[in-house]
Amino acid sequence: MNIHLENVIPEFLESEKIESSDIWNKNILVNKGERIQIVAPSGRGKTSFIHFIYGLRNDYKGNILLNNQNIGLFDAEEFAITRSNSCSIIFQDLRLFPDHTVFENINIKRLLNPFHGEERIKEMASRLGIENKLDRLAKTCSYGEQQRVAIIRALQQPFDFLLMDEPFSNLDESNRRIAMELIDEEVSKRNAAILLADLKILEFFKADRIIQL
Amino acid sequence: MSKQLSSAIKGKQRISFKTIAPFLIIGQNRSSRIFSYTGLAIGVLLLLCSIQMFININQLLKEKNPRKNGFDFISVTKTITNQNMGSDNRFTASDIKEIQSQSFIKDAAPLNSNQFRAKASAGTIIPFSTDLFLESVKNNFIDTVPPSFNWQPGQTDVPIIFSADFLEMYNIFAPAQGLPQLSESSVGSVSIVLECYGPGGVQNFRGTIVALSDRINSVLVPENFLLWANNKFGNSSNAPAARVYLKTTDANDPALLKFLEQKNYHVNKDKTKFGRVKQLLQAVVSGLGVFAILVILLAMMLFSFYLQLMIARSKDNLKLLLTLGYSPAGLSKTVAKKWIPVYTIIILLSLFFTALLQYLFQHFVLSGREVLSAYLHFSIYLLAASLLLLCVIINYKLIKKLLYRL
Repeated sequence: MNIHLENVIPEFLESEKIESSDIWNKNILVNKGERIQIVAPSGRGKTSFIHFIYGLRNDYKGNILLNNQNIGLFDAEEFAITRSNSCSIIFQDLRLFPDHTVFENINIKRLLNPFHGEERIKEMASRLGIENKLDRLAKTCSYGEQQRVAIIRALQQPFDFLLMDEPFSNLDESNRRIAMELIDEEVSKRNAAILLADLKILEFFKADRIIQL
Repeated sequence: MSKQLSSAIKGKQRISFKTIAPFLIIGQNRSSRIFSYTGLAIGVLLLLCSIQMFININQLLKEKNPRKNGFDFISVTKTITNQNMGSDNRFTASDIKEIQSQSFIKDAAPLNSNQFRAKASAGTIIPFSTDLFLESVKNNFIDTVPPSFNWQPGQTDVPIIFSADFLEMYNIFAPAQGLPQLSESSVGSVSIVLECYGPGGVQNFRGTIVALSDRINSVLVPENFLLWANNKFGNSSNAPAARVYLKTTDANDPALLKFLEQKNYHVNKDKTKFGRVKQLLQAVVSGLGVFAILVILLAMMLFSFYLQLMIARSKDNLKLLLTLGYSPAGLSKTVAKKWIPVYTIIILLSLFFTALLQYLFQHFVLSGREVLSAYLHFSIYLLAASLLLLCVIINYKLIKKLLYRL
């Protein structure tokens, strides 16, 4: 299981940003079980990079191969299978159902391809301190709480790669560490790889490789 | 596509509607939904009824239809007036040629008649004797030609095709003459002594009525028998015919009627009227069927608008579900499945009412006579099942298309 980036260049990025990058227009191989941190200031294409791999955008040149299959040729059904089996994601903009409860937001992902029983949602919520928010509508939660909902949601399915786009941006230091601990536990259960994109190096994330974007 | 991926796709996501129902906004626009359901029910009912009626008409008018393979057969004679009464009003060879050359006439055949005297008696059982006229016409002009309708020289049995109208007339005057009435099926068992005589001699034949004709008002014998008998008894073979039979696609064709009028030919159209009534009824019922299909299409369209509206309203949620990994095909199937019970109920109801109407029609309009079954033709059930399948498939395809567009 691996992700292979072959000379990927975003169509919209300025050439100097591409030239100075360790990812754009390079060959990058990410194997299952690896922990990669991608670091870049704003505007270097961090979110685009995560969205390219997840298949939400395709405005790039070059190839992204998932197990030697070019995802640029995937159709909607193939992406659906990939997203429910091998790639999970924590979006920077969270993408929750605002008019549904926290529990519904997490459970809708679990029901798709359950890795855990329903009771695990409550356990995770209590570890991240939002167990009393489970019945609240997502839109009524604070941004920090919503971020924890997005983290728990991403951990409900089997995956080989966990994509995270500034996953702790709205959490305080202690909550960041608790969330990272939970993520580490779940990732090691699946022997999955982590691709974490953030503005700066997160010292509590033990990366195998740190790549500048 | 990798093997693993393709096998995963084959496995397909199984999503229950209960799971995604909270994420769909379906409660809105109840009236448009109910309108489309009602429309569909009416359309299906109309379609099933019209097809059952089409089958009914075919069955009811089957035996009385003088049309054969879509053609009308009509007999024409020259109109007898006070002016031409004394002259020969038979068709000459050139008259027949002219008739045959008309584009609206597919074929024409003269009805040859006997050039000798013929007498029929029914032997001792029915004490009845009459002078008779015999005619012959090409076999393909006769509506009922049994295999026994042929004659070989030397044969003393002569098969006869008798006009059904003549039998009816006979049955009217028979009681008054002290003669037995005859049914259509028993007429074949009456042995007729056919006495032919003329300058050429006398001979008795045994005549048997092998069929009744609705189309031709005559006493028909095989062509070769009449030819032989005309030669033998009447010493003539090529006598002109007084009647000609026409084969045409439409006996009411204005061009045909104009031609006949111009030539001063008289046509007996009684026999084509029944065919016209059937044609007209079938046209009305077919029209009703087409209208029904239109109603169904309209109902389906209304429902598709409702679906589009539902998907547009739930767009954000559906988009996010797809982003999270729900498959468009799986979602469409789940959403489409939701309407299977609704469609099933609608079509079953329509089927029930069609069956009820057929039963009432058979029971009350036809007073329960067994000319028509009180139950629906199997094709109606088949059609109802196909309509159900069609509705579900169209629904699924539509939802899938809409989801792919998100």
